[in-house]
Amino acid sequence: MTPRPPRLVGPRAVVAFAVAIGALALLPVALELSPYTHNLVTLTFLMVSGALAWNWMGGYVGQVSFGHAAMFGVGGFVAARLMMLESPVPAPLAWLVGGLAAGVFALGAHPTLRLRGPYFSIATIGLGEASRLVFTYWEGFTGGSSGVSLPIDADTKFRLYWWGLALVALVVAASFVIRRSTLGLQLLAIKSDVDAAGDVGVNATLYQDLIFALSGVVVGITGGLYASYFSFIEPNDMFGFDRSIAFVLMAVIGGVGTIFGPILGAIVFVLLRQFLLASYPQLYLGLYGLLLILIILFEPLGLSGLAFRILRRFGRGRKAAAKAAIA
Amino acid sequence: MARFVDLTVSAVLLAGLYATMAYGLGLIYGVLRVVNLAHGGIIMAGAYLGWTLHERAGLDPYLSIPLVVAVTFMTGVVMYRLLVRHLPRGAAGGPASLLLLFGVWLVLRNAAYLLFTGNDQTIRTEYSTRALPLFGSYVSVNRLAVLGIAVVTPVLLQYLLKRTYLGRAIRAVAQNADSCTLVGIDVGRIYTITFGIGSALAGLAGVLSATIFSFNPAFGSGELLKSFVVVVLGGLGSVLGTGVAALILAVAEVFAILVLPSYLTAAVGFVMLVLVLVFRPGGLFGQRVLG
Repeated sequence: MTPRPPRLVGPRAVVAFAVAIGALALLPVALELSPYTHNLVTLTFLMVSGALAWNWMGGYVGQVSFGHAAMFGVGGFVAARLMMLESPVPAPLAWLVGGLAAGVFALGAHPTLRLRGPYFSIATIGLGEASRLVFTYWEGFTGGSSGVSLPIDADTKFRLYWWGLALVALVVAASFVIRRSTLGLQLLAIKSDVDAAGDVGVNATLYQDLIFALSGVVVGITGGLYASYFSFIEPNDMFGFDRSIAFVLMAVIGGVGTIFGPILGAIVFVLLRQFLLASYPQLYLGLYGLLLILIILFEPLGLSGLAFRILRRFGRGRKAAAKAAIA
Repeated sequence: MARFVDLTVSAVLLAGLYATMAYGLGLIYGVLRVVNLAHGGIIMAGAYLGWTLHERAGLDPYLSIPLVVAVTFMTGVVMYRLLVRHLPRGAAGGPASLLLLFGVWLVLRNAAYLLFTGNDQTIRTEYSTRALPLFGSYVSVNRLAVLGIAVVTPVLLQYLLKRTYLGRAIRAVAQNADSCTLVGIDVGRIYTITFGIGSALAGLAGVLSATIFSFNPAFGSGELLKSFVVVVLGGLGSVLGTGVAALILAVAEVFAILVLPSYLTAAVGFVMLVLVLVFRPGGLFGQRVLG
């Protein structure tokens, strides 16, 4: 008799997930959020999706990418161009095509995927910066340093909230499925020891390509939604190194490799940024740096690591901690 | 033809600077197996140190070199004792060290913004604009001086590593840290000093760059990547390899002007970085242990 694998996700988790998404969907109607809050939550949804998608590569496979802005930019500009055509493509289709384009673009990084650890990270810095320069130079497509404006009406922007939420729901579900499936175990094997994984028949190259492309698709879609959100995009911002860093920071602040981590990290990141940019714009870079240093030195799992510790302290038992740790 | 000579001369002069930048990164990686992402930040700090000494104390940038080297050495020592030392061993070369040192870089950048604002600065001396005729073209005095220092530095470094007890200890630790503890070498101390020397070399590269280029707090990211290209291409610990690699990078960058729009020449280094990592990860001359 073959052993039965454990259930992918427990029924209680599915219910909790559905309730959370439902509550968030009703939130603007029920509470009559101010436009400011409404937009801030929308932006948070986008960042959560991006951070989770980065985490597939950085957390599950253990390949820290400093170049995800390239896919973000490609997705954003492809979607923007499609929506600026004479007969505009409907927004959702444009976002999807932008995402797919970003996924294909990500596959261009295939040769770097056999690099490990710091070599991969540094190569992604090079790829990201090269993309930024090339796309800024390609004025016909990106408008150069002056950027492009999208035809977005207030109604579409208002509805971005639910599109963003749908994306989050999809990406969270995908994160669980990837993590708990055989694929997740194979990725874990690649993360632990790529050679040993190869010895037991895990096709490391294929799975890394797959995850990097998937991550690229999601980040690309996020880029498209982001372009619609701001209705003006500029290549030096979309492809900028600071944007690549943002993905890394969100995941690291929350907890690399977990699912709740990047969600939490993205929320903290957006709020912190909003607060700091308003009151201490000259400090926010250094504060992120300090946060990074403290997290690596004292709590490599970030905020989720901190949460596990507190849970354990209050006697919720090792089971909860262990359960959370694999989530 | 005159154009060709011009470009060649500027490539050679640039290569000296690139090599100087790369030694520090290569030394730290060779001994500690840590990619010092704060390297660019130290280069930036070195540039600002030289600038401050020149603006406030009227010190010539070349005379300020010993001071800058001493300060950045201490910065490296403090960084190692305070932060890098606490990284989990084994994982030291992994994401943890990258992220930690990246955090240090962000802090350094922010500190520079607070202290010096984001404006572009240059060190301007009375000989900044002076040039000497060479092979039918003119070469700035500054660039020649930088090249001179860039030639002397590896000779001194080589002497330190090959002929002194400290240098032998550093090379021994690079080869096998565990055996070193058996023969009574204080590995922690060697790591500390190596990190200091690596940072001092970055600081030196910073002052030298500051005499030629303008800089701001974001200065150093391109320099970090170029250093990395040179280290990977040149192979670890080979001083000659580092020089050749720096020359290759400089020639590629300078001659790209002939075929690429000037805006895109900055991408040459990045593209080379990726190509080198993918096709020659062991360097041109094969990977060698330090020394």
